[in-house]
Amino acid sequence: MAIIRRRGGSVSTTSISFPAMTLSYIALFAWTFVVLFPLYWLAVTALKTPLEVNAGPFYIPWRDFQPTLDSWHYIFFDLREDTFRPYTNTVVVGLTSTAITVLLGSMAAYGLVRMRYRVGYGAIASFVVALAIAVAVVVAGGPWPLGLVAGIGVFVLLLQTVARRWKRGVGNDDIAFWMISQRMLPPVATVIPIYIFFQQLQLLDTWAALIISYTAAHLPIVVWLMRDYFQSVPVELEESAAIDGASPYRIFRSIVLPLAVPGLVATFLFVLVFAWNEYLIALFLTSANAQTLPMTVAAQNATRGPQWWYMSVLILIMIGPVIAMAIALERYIARGLLVGAVKG
Amino acid sequence: MHASARAVSAAASWWRPMASRLDRVAGGVFILPAVVVILAFSIFPLLSSLYVSLSRLGFAQGGVELKFVGFDNYAKLLFGIDRPHFLGVTGPLTPIGIAVLLAIYGLFALLLYRYARGPNRTIGGLVGRVLATAIAGTLVWLIVNTVLTSGRPGTLVVTLVYVAVDVSVQYLLGLGLALLVVQHLPGRRFFRVVFLLPMMITPVGVAYLFRMIVDTSKGPLYPLWAHFGLTDISWVTNPWGARLAVMVGDVWQWTPFIFIVLLAAIETLPHELVEAAVVDGANRWQVFWRITFPQILPATITVVLIRIIEGFKIVDLPNVLTNGGPGTATESLTLHAYTIWRALDIGGSAAVAYMLLIVVTFVGISYVNLFRPRAATAA
Amino acid sequence: MSRVLARAVVLLVFVAACSNGSNTSSNQSFSGTTIRVVTFTGPQIAEPLQRRAPDFEKATGAKVQIITVPFSDLYQKLLTDFATKTNSYDATVFDPQWMGDYVPPGYLEDLTDRVKNDSALQWNDIAPFFRDFSATFKGKVYTIPLDGDFQMVYYRKDLLQKDGLQPPATWDDYISIAQHFQGKDLNGDGKPDYGSCLAMKRSAQSYWAWISIAAAYLQSQGTKQGAFFNTDNMQPLTNNPAAAAALTVYKTLSKIGPPEQLNQDVGDSRGLFVTGRCALSLDWGDIGPLAVDKTQSTVQDKVGAIILPGSKKVLDRSSNQLVDCNATLCPYATNGVNHSPFAAFGGWSGAINKAASAKVKDAAFAFLSYMSQPAQSSVDVTIGKTGFNPYRTSHFNNMGPWTASGMSETAANDYLGAIKSSLQSPNMVLDLRIPQTAFYQQTALDTALAQFLAGEISLTQCMTQITNQWNSKTEEIGRASQLDAYRSSLSITK
Repeated sequence: MAIIRRRGGSVSTTSISFPAMTLSYIALFAWTFVVLFPLYWLAVTALKTPLEVNAGPFYIPWRDFQPTLDSWHYIFFDLREDTFRPYTNTVVVGLTSTAITVLLGSMAAYGLVRMRYRVGYGAIASFVVALAIAVAVVVAGGPWPLGLVAGIGVFVLLLQTVARRWKRGVGNDDIAFWMISQRMLPPVATVIPIYIFFQQLQLLDTWAALIISYTAAHLPIVVWLMRDYFQSVPVELEESAAIDGASPYRIFRSIVLPLAVPGLVATFLFVLVFAWNEYLIALFLTSANAQTLPMTVAAQNATRGPQWWYMSVLILIMIGPVIAMAIALERYIARGLLVGAVKG
Repeated sequence: MHASARAVSAAASWWRPMASRLDRVAGGVFILPAVVVILAFSIFPLLSSLYVSLSRLGFAQGGVELKFVGFDNYAKLLFGIDRPHFLGVTGPLTPIGIAVLLAIYGLFALLLYRYARGPNRTIGGLVGRVLATAIAGTLVWLIVNTVLTSGRPGTLVVTLVYVAVDVSVQYLLGLGLALLVVQHLPGRRFFRVVFLLPMMITPVGVAYLFRMIVDTSKGPLYPLWAHFGLTDISWVTNPWGARLAVMVGDVWQWTPFIFIVLLAAIETLPHELVEAAVVDGANRWQVFWRITFPQILPATITVVLIRIIEGFKIVDLPNVLTNGGPGTATESLTLHAYTIWRALDIGGSAAVAYMLLIVVTFVGISYVNLFRPRAATAA
Repeated sequence: MSRVLARAVVLLVFVAACSNGSNTSSNQSFSGTTIRVVTFTGPQIAEPLQRRAPDFEKATGAKVQIITVPFSDLYQKLLTDFATKTNSYDATVFDPQWMGDYVPPGYLEDLTDRVKNDSALQWNDIAPFFRDFSATFKGKVYTIPLDGDFQMVYYRKDLLQKDGLQPPATWDDYISIAQHFQGKDLNGDGKPDYGSCLAMKRSAQSYWAWISIAAAYLQSQGTKQGAFFNTDNMQPLTNNPAAAAALTVYKTLSKIGPPEQLNQDVGDSRGLFVTGRCALSLDWGDIGPLAVDKTQSTVQDKVGAIILPGSKKVLDRSSNQLVDCNATLCPYATNGVNHSPFAAFGGWSGAINKAASAKVKDAAFAFLSYMSQPAQSSVDVTIGKTGFNPYRTSHFNNMGPWTASGMSETAANDYLGAIKSSLQSPNMVLDLRIPQTAFYQQTALDTALAQFLAGEISLTQCMTQITNQWNSKTEEIGRASQLDAYRSSLSITK
């Protein structure tokens, strides 16, 4: 069995006629304009003085207005630490949480696609009972670690005894739906409980708090997306590898993951984008040290109204690294790089 | 190289039984980390916000206290003082409204009838469908009575409108762009990266960006407005104009999400299938409908589900663009929850959030049940 | 016991340092102490704190860490921190309106004695309104004012002079001046401009603008009369001919301005005003320094400021009717016009977390006092980006810093004149500061105003909606306790 790398360009299944090509380009350039014009506006706003923004609209630097780097100077020199500190935090939290999320999420997604899970109603009932006991302990005034231990103890006990008899249960699709349903509650309803959660763990204002929250928040998305990519990987390959004696972990690492690279890359990109840009949780979990950039952006609207010029600079420097990442990763989404002729 | 191989085989004597045990529990090892993280992190917020939604925050000497008030917060939304805000104000039905209602109810009835007479019916399935139809029917009634009459929609209906319009437009655009970009055109890699850009901006930033764009007195569209003599009119102070502005912003920002997922899905397809079809003489349209579309259906269903769930939580755009105004015209459910949360009514806010959760769960389950079997048969 | 001991030691060290002959500010009594001060992300307010923190450290040894969070979420963030006893902040520079929520649970330190004993603070130099009402809750001092906030009307002096118009004395004058200029080109760029620019956006500053109008009709007998509730029974003053008159004025003004007015906040209205696109505007003190800033403004020396317009008719609370002013009804009227300047928002003020350690509290107080002392504040209030507006008598009497900041003598006189006449008015309106003020104003009042302006509800519906929501909230929290809080905020004692 071998996977042969093939150049993307070599697979030309459909040749494109000239009118079709012209129409395609018209459509593509039209959307490019729609996408780029607001960004252009951002870029010129970052070069304007407040006066020029408020008296506008001015479009072209040097012709309509004299560009100035005042706003850039303010962000990089006047704010200095207040720009670089959140920047570092954003990079660290974004990359770490994304890497963990994509790893754990892909594993779970693979499990959901290739294995059969059956969670017995008995197990679920045990969990609910254990949870109720834990909650009761805390409500009655006990410390939360005691509630946690009591809950886990009861859960294990029930699982080993009562739950064994009750065989019917929920399957893979239900587990997947349960996961995605965790994203249905708007963050405004969960942010204070999450705050208390980390306050109890004494993790407020740390990278860890943000990384853990983002991992938990974005896992369902990774699971769902990766599930579909794994489904499209031919199962025959894995079967033959299993016959050759490869362990499930090895199959996952050496066969499945490489084959799903386009999906992995796409998923990685927007989980990164989500973590990079998250606002509300970051606002509450951080104060002096771990603040991230979205807060700096939002903070440019204070008592004097939105400071468009500073905001534009901040948005531009914020998307810079993500764009670089997208350019670097884009080629992995290209057809035929890894997926393609597979002979085994 | 040789030495290390020997070392491995020496280690294998204890490793092998361990490894085989590990192999047997592979299913658990794959899924448990994710389950544990999600569980640990969702149970507490879920339960505590449920409790909060049944209580009211008050100040007492030495701190705050939560007072249990039962379903007061929900009653306020559904029947009480916040009803016009949450559900909207109904007006007398117009002939168009009646026609729309009859058409949709007729369709529902037809679907139910077909299921009841069909070969696959089960009691559970029938009960579920009747229930789903009833809820959907109520929502449709609410939409028709607030939108197609002289009344005004509340935050619930506004959110439903956002989700329906945004997700369908985003899907059509995203799919179209993905199909254009998979073609072997020179420069396609440029387009791929460019099309991703809107998604990368922080949502608050996108909202402010669109606030600059929609400003017709100092924004870039001013000459256009002046050209048509519209300088006295602002679209963001008109209810539907403002909603349109919000939706345009949302489409601009999230089309890339659907675009990249579908692009990756199409790129993962084994292209032997397409080649075979082309050899058989299929044209592009047939290739798309018979091969590409069924193959990317699972990804489609997933991405649309994710967008529906995320779309229901739309908050930054209406919050920054119009703050929910003019009046309450652009206020989404999450913004509703956020606004009263900032005014310390965290009980009422949690109640709104739970109403949202109920609606999204209903929509999500119906959606999954409607499409999952089809994807399974298609794939 | 040990805390008392610690305090005594601090005091001893302090006294010892003083008796050494050095003045108080050069001793290092707070060395090793870090004060964590939270406020919103500036440059406003945060900038002067950050700029002066190193000097303060040099003088006292205390390190000041300024933590900033976005303006829109400061209130929630602070409250969450207090309520969960996280106590990540020792002091805050915040909006004193929030005292209604922070003082009753006991989150803030009572500063009464400290203020009394600190001569350098020159407490009596602070304008009486800020001293006696703004900084005080239930007769005790909880904050040190660092900023004076109230609303004024700004007008284009050049335009009014050219057309022979007087600055508006009443809201009717304001409307007619606005109508006069609406649609004319006011800055010579060929585009039609606007008579009046107000911040009418929802969830922004709209309700303050409306209260500024309504106050003229609602309150005529001094600060203690109150402009929001009846001080005897906590009945809202939102469903009467005065509120109706103010709503009518507000709605009229919504149509004499930029087409986007309903979606504009103060950022927008200020931008338009200082680029010469509006003849009139209603705003806090910020326009003064902004208008002389050459990078932002094209109307240097063309801007006049005046106390909020008033009304010749006011609400007679016994008959619930609008009646003409007379000597008993409007004791503070000028030329038969009742002016009720509105201290909207209240001015950023410093307060100290009660849960901080004794030494940190002392250091925090010293820092806040340092910021407010005339030597520092008289310079800071003249700098536009500090966001600090004048609040001390000495700020008005000493013109040096103002002209040094680039204001011409006439501009400074104009600007300070309007502030002075507002501040000296015994009929100043105190902004609402009772528990859950945010609900009364930001949620109930603001939403109803937005709906009224957008035409979703009628005038009577608007008034009933506000009244019902306020009443239902009052009942929910308890009418007696809310009444008590409202009366305490107005310093009414039986």
